[in-house]
Amino acid sequence: MIQYAVRRLLLAVPTLFGVTLLVFSMVRMLPGDPAQAMAGVHATQEYIEQVRRTLGLDQPLHVQYGRFMIGLFRGDLGTSIRTGLPVSREVWSRMVPTLELTLVSLFLATFFGVAVGVISSTKPYSVFDYTSMFGALVGLSAPVFWLGLMLMLLFSVRLGWLPAAGRSGPINLILPSVTLAASSVALVARFTRSTMLEVMRQDYVNTARAKGLRQRAVVLRHALRNALIPIVTIIGLRFGALLSGAVLTETVFAWPGVGRLMVDSISARDYPVVQGAVLLLALAFVVINLVVDLLYGVVNPRIQYD
Amino acid sequence: MARKVLLLACVFLVGLAAWAAPKPGGEMVIGFGTDPESLDPNKITSAPAGMVLTHVAETLLLMTEDLKVAPLLVENWTVSEDGLTVLLYIRKGVFFHDGAPLNADAVKVNLERFRTATYAFLLFPRVNTIDVVDEYTVRFNLDKPFAPLIAHLTHNFVAIVSPKQIAELPAGKDILEPVGTGPFKFDAWVRGDYVRLVRNGNYWGDKAYLDSVVFKVIPSDATRLVLLETGQLHAMMRVPPLDASRVAATAGLELLNIPSVRTIYIAFNYQKAPFTDVRIRQAINYAVDKEAIVKEVLGGVGGVSDAAIMPLVFGHAGQEPYTYDPEKARDLLKAAGFPNGFKCTLYHPTGRYMMDAAVAEAVQAYLAEVGIDAKLVTMEWAAYLAYLRKPQPEATFDMFMLGWGCVTLDADYGLFALFHTSEWAPVGSNRSFYSDPTVDTLLDLARVVSDPVGRRATYASLLTYLWKDAPWLYLHYEGQLNAQRTVAKDLIHHPREYILAHKAWLDQ
Repeated sequence: MIQYAVRRLLLAVPTLFGVTLLVFSMVRMLPGDPAQAMAGVHATQEYIEQVRRTLGLDQPLHVQYGRFMIGLFRGDLGTSIRTGLPVSREVWSRMVPTLELTLVSLFLATFFGVAVGVISSTKPYSVFDYTSMFGALVGLSAPVFWLGLMLMLLFSVRLGWLPAAGRSGPINLILPSVTLAASSVALVARFTRSTMLEVMRQDYVNTARAKGLRQRAVVLRHALRNALIPIVTIIGLRFGALLSGAVLTETVFAWPGVGRLMVDSISARDYPVVQGAVLLLALAFVVINLVVDLLYGVVNPRIQYD
Repeated sequence: MARKVLLLACVFLVGLAAWAAPKPGGEMVIGFGTDPESLDPNKITSAPAGMVLTHVAETLLLMTEDLKVAPLLVENWTVSEDGLTVLLYIRKGVFFHDGAPLNADAVKVNLERFRTATYAFLLFPRVNTIDVVDEYTVRFNLDKPFAPLIAHLTHNFVAIVSPKQIAELPAGKDILEPVGTGPFKFDAWVRGDYVRLVRNGNYWGDKAYLDSVVFKVIPSDATRLVLLETGQLHAMMRVPPLDASRVAATAGLELLNIPSVRTIYIAFNYQKAPFTDVRIRQAINYAVDKEAIVKEVLGGVGGVSDAAIMPLVFGHAGQEPYTYDPEKARDLLKAAGFPNGFKCTLYHPTGRYMMDAAVAEAVQAYLAEVGIDAKLVTMEWAAYLAYLRKPQPEATFDMFMLGWGCVTLDADYGLFALFHTSEWAPVGSNRSFYSDPTVDTLLDLARVVSDPVGRRATYASLLTYLWKDAPWLYLHYEGQLNAQRTVAKDLIHHPREYILAHKAWLDQ
């Protein structure tokens, strides 16, 4: 398994190399000029050219890419055009809040999604099933902006129970993580329900029941375990989606995460920061995929890594 | 009886004084939309960054909220008769937060550093050399008179930081934690979250009442308002116009409608037919109901333009408005050979200025009424700016919407870069390729006339000329819709789009 993990990590190198090439060329394909964006609406051409030279943006593209890659091998992601700070510091300081938010949301999505899905599948077409699946549909379709503001109005303005926004303590995590998790809880719940319903029809479940096992043991030990592989896959995918899709939640709740940093940096055509952030997110995706693949083996010992 | 009345009166007066007297202490939290890009005077380019910096690092001269130039780190100044020498007399007994004294050397070091900065080309275009005359006197030597210089020294980007900090700064690095002379000292900056400043107990002037002030970054307007309502903020910038009446009606909140120095206009491509014909340009000015746009689209925030600069700017002279008159517009179009109107494109930003896309749509509808079929094109801001910086033969646009904040409050800053022929894009900001010898002469003249009365008269003639020539569809100047909790006292909401906490206090 360790060998497998190492091989997968090594295989990630060409993937990440491809990402650098893609993101490097894509940000440069955007219309707009970072030197102009940095110098502002009032700047003269002379000053813009000066900024361009200072930033090394007057160099041919392959030279810029070469510099970027050399820096990367040295662990240097470059310097932000907008703020003049090292990109690694900028991105990492904003990655931490995003990770906090994403991990809590992922926990909520997994715990509530699986629980609701399992209960619904054991009582199909019951009131609980209909209500929870309708709730899941609402959770999937509610726009994050709307849901965030509604939760804020209810729990902060009306009831005064929770702080509306900002990141001053753990309590501040509740509203944004619930908002971010809503669609994932819904998706995981619906997915768990349908997978469980399929599994529950299998012969080995009937055998377990025939053995006289209690419903709880049948569901948790025999059915859920076999349903877990697709569920783990969808949770892994959601993790990636949460990580890269937190920008709206971050904006509504003034959460200083990497999503907002990326949007601000794209607006300012801050190429190094966009490159750095995308690269880090791509790395996170690679790691998540690997972890999901390794989890398959834990969930189902018949899966061999060679 | 008389004694009783006197006693009661005394008690009332003491009570009144206690009620009105500022209370020291506390932390005030101010919400705004964009994280400062930097806190280094050499690097900053935006109003939010200027707002935070000005609490820590002071300018040489001050632009008060009623837009008068007042002494600050410079106590007094003189301009020679030929306008080529400016002497600045620096305040004595002022120290930076790190203990370094403020003197002529410190000012020179800062100004020399600033001459390499983003905005130096606009603020100090004619300064040749800067000399230290004695310990507390600095001299600017100019190659040509430049009357706006004094106003430009009030610009918040020309903030003075400790010479020690500059000396110790590694080459190529920016200042992250500015050390100035201001009433607040830098404390912490969590990127994308907040900047916190604490009271400077050794401030040379009237000390701040607050223990600390926090500038909190909240990108969503709606969230900012919720935070103000729940008391997590004491003041905020940019109330969404749709929420204005609700804020005004909420107990404990105050809505403030403050003018801004930004003028919003739609410029015509002056070199492209049919906009080369003044009748077409005037027709468009008559065709659009600016009053209705300000009232209905902007919710009454701001005002209709009566010149190319807004009324608070030095040199402003109000003109006879182009009153909404579609009939007159049609007549002018007919006279210009377009009785059935024509097709054109109108470029506009979305989300950059207050209700910009909605304003563009309103303009489109008004133009359609007189037969002009304007196609709207919008772009993301960075792409938009790049698009509008093409050299003349490549620039194929017909009309574009843009705003210009005249932050120095002097007409030169608001007119020269936009109308002088030498400023044609891509060199400068004359993106509509306006060119007129009379305008060029008047703009040059206003720079060298040092007598304020003469300058005013020059700008008045210039603005009248520009009004009649109609190089723009003159729209409106923006307003700022801010709000604060009633416990927040004596905050200054400045037309430069700043909220200043220098003298603020909390009544709680």
